[in-house]
Parts: sequence; C-alpha cells; structure tokens
Amino acid sequence: MLAMYFLILYITVQCTGKEGFMAGETVKAMVPITFMYKNRVGQALQVYLNGLKEKKIMGARCPTCKKVYVPPKTVCARCRKPIDKWVEVGQEGILKNFTVSYVNIVNGEILDVQEPYVIGLIKLKGASSLLSGIVKIPSVDKVKTGMKVKAVWKETTQGEYSDLVYFEPA
Amino acid sequence: MNERVAIVGYKQTKHTFDSPVARERMIYELVKALFAELGITRDDIDTFILASNDFTDGRTISEVFTVPRIGAYMKDETKVESDGLSAALYAYMRILSGLYETALVVGFSMAGSEFRAPLIQSYTLDPVYERPRGIINYYSIAALQANAYMRKYKFTEEDLAQLTVKNLENANNNPYAARKEENPSIDKVLGSKPLYLPIRQAHVSAYADGACAVILSSKKMAKKFTNKPVWIDGVGHFMDTYYIGDRDLLAMEHLSAAAKKAYKMAGIKNPKKEIDLAEIHTNFSSEEPVFAEAMGLFKPGSGKDVVKNGESRIDGALPINPSGGPLGANPINATGLIRLAEASAQLRNEAGKNQVKGAKTAVVHAQDGPGAQLNTVFVVRR
Repeated sequence: MLAMYFLILYITVQCTGKEGFMAGETVKAMVPITFMYKNRVGQALQVYLNGLKEKKIMGARCPTCKKVYVPPKTVCARCRKPIDKWVEVGQEGILKNFTVSYVNIVNGEILDVQEPYVIGLIKLKGASSLLSGIVKIPSVDKVKTGMKVKAVWKETTQGEYSDLVYFEPA
Repeated sequence: MNERVAIVGYKQTKHTFDSPVARERMIYELVKALFAELGITRDDIDTFILASNDFTDGRTISEVFTVPRIGAYMKDETKVESDGLSAALYAYMRILSGLYETALVVGFSMAGSEFRAPLIQSYTLDPVYERPRGIINYYSIAALQANAYMRKYKFTEEDLAQLTVKNLENANNNPYAARKEENPSIDKVLGSKPLYLPIRQAHVSAYADGACAVILSSKKMAKKFTNKPVWIDGVGHFMDTYYIGDRDLLAMEHLSAAAKKAYKMAGIKNPKKEIDLAEIHTNFSSEEPVFAEAMGLFKPGSGKDVVKNGESRIDGALPINPSGGPLGANPINATGLIRLAEASAQLRNEAGKNQVKGAKTAVVHAQDGPGAQLNTVFVVRR
C-alpha cells in the first residue's frame, strides 16, 4: 500500500517535471457557470428589428457627417453627435469583402460544417457601413468582391435577425 | 513627479497546453523566482497590478485569490481586465505620478487547458447583435482582414504560409514557447485545416497556459534592481469603434495613431530606420503585415516583399516577433506583457538563439477586443 502511494507520488512528480509540487495538483474540477441576461437591445437595434419585421433594412444618418450606419446607432462615434434620424436603405448591394467558412463557432467550439459557406461584408445602397451576412451562392469558388447581392427574407417575419435569412446574387 | 520609467526585471513561465499547476501556484512561483533573481522582497514593490479577466478565471473579483500569490497582501494593488501591456501602461503612469517608485505587473491565463479561447472571445461580442447572429467572431474578422489585405496587395496564401513558418521557426528556438512544430513548412501550413479562409489552423496563435511578470521602476530606484534597465520612452493607447462594418480593417487608424503617439514621445522620426525589432501581439499570423504597416514599420502593401526578402526574419533589417510571437504562446492577458518581456530580453542581449544583434530600440504592441479594437504601443530602449 505504502509502495503504491510512493509510486503514485513518483509518477506525479515526474509528470509535473519539478519537485516540490503537491501530488494531485493536476486534478481538474468542472466549474459550470450559467447566466441568462435579459439585455435591452437599445433604441437603435429596436428600430432595426422592427424594420426586419416589415422586410426593411433600417439605418441611422448622422446629422453632421451624413454617414448612414447599418445597423443603426444612436451616437456617431466620430462626430460625437446623437442620432435620431432613421432611414431605410436598399436591399441590394455590392459584396465588398468575404471569407469562405469551413466551420462554425458554437459555444466556443469550432465545429465543421457540411458545406462551406460565405460570410460577406455588403455595402447596401444608401448605407455607409458594411453589413455582415451570409451570402448564398451555388458554388463558393465563384464568390467575388464587386458582386451584386440582394436580401432574401423569411416568408413570415417576426422582428428577429433571422428574418433576413441571407443574401444571394442579384 | 518621476520623469523616466524603466523595466528592471522580467520573467515568464515556460508556457504549456496543460499546466501541471493551478494559476495561483503558477504566478506565485513566477514572482518568487523573479524576486530571487533580483535579490529583492515584496517590500521593494510599491504597487502591484494584475492583468487577468474574470471570464478567463471562471469567477468574479478573481484577484481575491491571486493578489496574495504575487506578494500584494496588505499592499497597494489593482487589476486590469485586459491585456498585460495595458497593466504595464497603468504601472508606468502610477510611477510617473510620483506616488509610487516601483511596480510589479503580472498577467496570466490558462487558455490552453481550462477554457475554450473562442468562448471567452465570444463574450466580448455585442450580446444583442453579433452573438445571436453567430457570423462575426475573432476568426472570421481575421479572415476578412486577411482577405482585404491579400486582394489589395496581391499577397498570396503561400506568402501568408511563409510568414507563419517564420514565426513557428522562431518559436521553436524560444524556450518559453508552448507550440513546437517539427520542421514547419509552407506545405504543412497550407495543408492544415481550413477554418475561415485564408485562416487555417496553422495561422492561429497558440492559446496556452502561462504567465509573465515585469517590474517597473522610477529612474531614481532603477539602480537598486539592475545595471541593465530598459527605458519606456513612448506609449500610445487607442481604441477603434466596435462594429467591423464601420472600421477600416487595413488602415487600422487607431493602431497607427497609437504608434505615432509613442514614436513622438520617444523622439522617433523614422520608425523603420530607428527601430531594431518589433514584438507584435497577433492572434493570427495574417495580422502581422497589417499591424506592422499600420505602425509605420513597413510601407503599406509591402508584405509580399518583406516575406520574400526576409526583412522581418531575425537576421533581417527589421525583425518582427523574433520570439515567434503569440503563434508560439498566447496565454490571453499575459500575451502583450510577454511582448514587453521579450523586447526587454532583446535589448539586454538575453534572447539566446533568437537574439537580434545589437538591438537598442524596440517597439512593443498589444491588442484586445474583436479584431484588435484596442491597441497599446510601447517604445523601449536600452
């Protein structure tokens, strides 16, 4: 029994590679933490979500620099001016940048997807921001910046991000 | 008021993917060893600053457990919920104020074994917009930035792979790096798992368990610690707006502004000429040319040439991440502070196999937030 104890101690010291560490210090305990918050989305995103319900893409125009932010914001960071002017932007736009994705990150886990898909940054007509979204294209090899794309909606919208399902070549 | 602040001591752990000890023990051993090396006790330190993150520690007000371990019991202490270089900036300012003469800065995390780095990163995303949509994350932002760079400047996947190989080779010669890849090659990098193209697994930094400790001192007290002080001669710290679609991912005006401010303070007019090496906090190797150019170290768009002519290699004209950078070890919260420690090692001619010959001036960079929303830049001199 005692020999067994020393054997385990010996192995532990060998594993830690250094003398003096306490035996069993490599033991890990699971530490579950669960939180559920009910955050306000704020006035600007509320406008955006309400817009989605009506199959509209809403932005906010800064009164000073005239930039149109999509999704909308209540303050222009550059001008430090409050924004309360909501504007509808186009549903068509130009693909400015993209990445072909082979994975999804869900709860911090990098999971393979069955088919690679395109994440794009899209400049909608009338918008200054680039809006991120999925671009559905029959073959991901064919994706190119400068492509014209348009929004595709769920049949029944509910004022959720998923109402705007993806963009497709226009 | 103090006028000049020096780095008078530094030490990092041998970073791993599965630490044999808990974080408390890790930082205790690290600080103890640093104090022993310098022949000092905790009484020689006026203020203690930790860099960690409650999400990475799995508990709030995490320092209730870590403060005693670094010797700050009944001492002036505070914490930064960000990268360790921000904590060093905090320490630097405290010493400049004249209220403190010496400071110990410690950054650490167990990103290699205790939590999934992308999970913690996802908690920095807008909880009511980006998180529920699941499209934008640290990896996809890096991919978008890399694609923008590659398209604009004809930088190829092979060029990017070569850059990754350069860093992996440097990491192989760094005794503290966690990641050791046998004979890294362009083919191996290009054959690694595609994530968000052009980002492949090989381009991702090595999230690791590890810690770093740095001691700062006023000029007056520096002699007590070392005859090889490294001076902090310039600092800059800027943040961009949050939304990726509102940022210029290539120009990185905020990083550029932080670097310019630091150079101005340090009296540097031509960073490319006057700086001998840079330690840059990259979460993905693709960030290296973008950041280096925003910091004025190379001409915009010169990434391809820099890779080709080996300018950023240890024996090149302006070595970038001679330590291997975060590709060798990225213990979140310690990573920027490690850059400062590595630069100090270089300036003191203590960088072993990765030593840049005759290094006198270095620039150190750290980032935090999605797509490097926050950037800190230090100019350090021997």
